[in-house]
Amino acid sequence: MRPNPPHVSPRRRPATGSGSASALVYKRPMGAGNTETSSDRAAFWRGARDAMILTAWVLGFSILGVGSLARDAGFPAGAAVLSTIIMWAGPAQTIFFASIAAGASLPVVAFAVTLSSIRLLPMTMAILPLLRRPGQGLATQLGAAHFVAVTMWVEGLRRVPPLPAAERVPYFFGFANACLVVCTITTYVGYFLLGALPLPLAAGLLFLTPVFFTVSLVAGARSLSDWAAMALGGILAPLCNVLLGKDLDLLAAGLIGGTAAYLVGKTAGARR
Amino acid sequence: MNADALAGAGLWWPYLLVIVVGFLPSEVWRVVAVFLSRGLDEQSEILQWVRAVAIALLAGVIAKLLFTPPGVLAAVPLAGRLVPIAVGVAGYLATRRAIVGVLAGEAALVAIAWWADSN
Repeated sequence: MRPNPPHVSPRRRPATGSGSASALVYKRPMGAGNTETSSDRAAFWRGARDAMILTAWVLGFSILGVGSLARDAGFPAGAAVLSTIIMWAGPAQTIFFASIAAGASLPVVAFAVTLSSIRLLPMTMAILPLLRRPGQGLATQLGAAHFVAVTMWVEGLRRVPPLPAAERVPYFFGFANACLVVCTITTYVGYFLLGALPLPLAAGLLFLTPVFFTVSLVAGARSLSDWAAMALGGILAPLCNVLLGKDLDLLAAGLIGGTAAYLVGKTAGARR
Repeated sequence: MNADALAGAGLWWPYLLVIVVGFLPSEVWRVVAVFLSRGLDEQSEILQWVRAVAIALLAGVIAKLLFTPPGVLAAVPLAGRLVPIAVGVAGYLATRRAIVGVLAGEAALVAIAWWADSN
């Protein structure tokens, strides 16, 4: 049913025969997963370069607001930057700083943060199998998982499957690290800059996240199930917001809409 | 907990808060995912379902941002938020380039926000 088998032939790499990088990497002994090869480095930098074309800037601009929110909540600039590096989840950071600024108690803040980050569970589960390699250590997997945020997931799902298996991990880390570096800087900049912007530009910054996510979802959609999940999630979230309130609406929309979309895809696939 | 209490509470307190109340409750799901996804093939049925749930969740996030927008985005009327999304998708579909879609959508939104702000 799906258009792509697990190991798609490399899309961008010209067919240069048996001397290809993936063949070299496969000959490495097991347990040598941490040894860097020149092809790893090349894939890392290609990932970083691809991120700098658009994604890192979208993320960077959208995280500006977190910096200014942290300042409003009374945090030092270093704590705002730390939150970007170790939390690496814009919505969770927004909830964290905004609810502390609103005077919520710490257990309530922690609960709201964890509720918003449940979304990282299915996203991380969906992307890690794409990054798996023989002999991969737990540290690499936890490291890759740490970099999974909504944007990294949606971009990874689109960019990683066409790559040869051996290049996926270094490419992903290159892509993620470029985003992290840009976001670390823009969090710091946002801490001091935002608030001085005229309304249309400030609104434009806030709009960056929804428009980028929408375009990325459309660009990454591969099957009927994907399209159905998009439509159902978009319709169900506002409905659940009215019915269930603002804490559980996303979870309900994701579970109900996603399950329905999965079944739609199965049914359509079986009929064909 | 408020901003004044935070400012007076010692140098390391805000960093500790970020780690304990921000990082740990968020990171736990990524760690759980590492263990849950072990042994799962990327084509497996369960992961196809997980993928559908994740997409629906993200679509829900987008809808939420559009219908109950944060901060100054609320100053733009609802239609003024939905039309630029359509412009962005159209821009992407016409060129197959994500950056064109994002810039087209952004241009539409800033123009509408400018118009709404000056009326």
